[in-house]
Amino acid sequence: MLLTSVIIVLREVLEAALLISILSALSAAHGISRGWIGWALACGMASAIGLGFGIDTVSNWFDGVGQEVSSACLQFAIYLAIVVLLLLLGTPAGTEKRSTGVLSIVMAAIVALAITREGFEILVYIFGFAGILKQLLVVLVGSAIGAGIGISIGALIYYLLRSMPHTPSHYVSLFLLILVAAGLVSQAALLLIQADWLPAQLPVWDSSSVIAEDSVTGQLLYALVGYEATPSAIQAGFYFGGALLMLMVSAGSAFRRRLQRNSTRETA
Amino acid sequence: MTMMQRMPGALAALLLASGTAGPALAGKPVFELEIRNHLFWPSELVVPAHTKVKLLITNNDPTPEEFESYELNREKVIMGRRTAVVFIGPLAPGEYPFFGEFHPKTAQGKVIAE
Repeated sequence: MLLTSVIIVLREVLEAALLISILSALSAAHGISRGWIGWALACGMASAIGLGFGIDTVSNWFDGVGQEVSSACLQFAIYLAIVVLLLLLGTPAGTEKRSTGVLSIVMAAIVALAITREGFEILVYIFGFAGILKQLLVVLVGSAIGAGIGISIGALIYYLLRSMPHTPSHYVSLFLLILVAAGLVSQAALLLIQADWLPAQLPVWDSSSVIAEDSVTGQLLYALVGYEATPSAIQAGFYFGGALLMLMVSAGSAFRRRLQRNSTRETA
Repeated sequence: MTMMQRMPGALAALLLASGTAGPALAGKPVFELEIRNHLFWPSELVVPAHTKVKLLITNNDPTPEEFESYELNREKVIMGRRTAVVFIGPLAPGEYPFFGEFHPKTAQGKVIAE
């Protein structure tokens, strides 16, 4: 019971913690106040509670696959918000000051959406034990340990990113963000396959004998890069398509930044 | 952005053309699973291979459970005293273990595709 709750909560917290640490590092590197984190946490938790109360209704949408469809929409929304963030980060330095507010709103939206999804599952799990006091205590302790480990890993990544020089830190953050985002769209595709909105196919590969999804490595890779041992072609297509689009957006941004830097150098 | 919008449509069209989505129109076989006292009944479910199947999972416990399977790539929260729909397959013949993530020690079972 204790170990189960540690694992369940760790899995959920890890995904959100990764996003929060990468975005906080980007925030700090771009001189944006991290005040948005508090707002994002509060809004995310509020909507997770709202989703928890509305889950009966949501589950019945679309002939019983409302949970999958709404989760997939949340994942796509997070992905699109990350694309917008990459576009904004590429805006020329002169206008960057003006867009600081917009940047923090987008970052807050990403984190709030992520917490809605992950927080909902944790709440459902913990509230399931609400009537059984003895088990509830164990579950709460386990959840606290799981959350603690997840937050620690997030903090570790944050400090690693912050300890790097500005430019490498910026690119490593973007790279991690792209991996997480590609994982999100592939998970969204999987949810739509589960809902029968996208056709199911046999897996294109099976790497479960190399890295099992339920192993520690598999779980970490799942949170970081959306690792799947047996993905279908559609899911892999969403993953690589999603990653490619983001790479193009960030390459375009980098190109524009360089152009801008060159032109300012010329005028000076 | 346009690429993101076009991609699922193009993929779906491609698959429709190749006939993969054909059986979807014929209606899928339905199989039922029950959760009672954090156990799955039946714990072994035989389904046809190479066919998409609709699972109706009824949670008779008052507490929520999460149907999860790494082999089937499925994950769904089922609230107490509710029935959930999960589509699985088409599967290659073989065994696909599943478990209840909230009570993984007791809630275990497998889908056998034949």
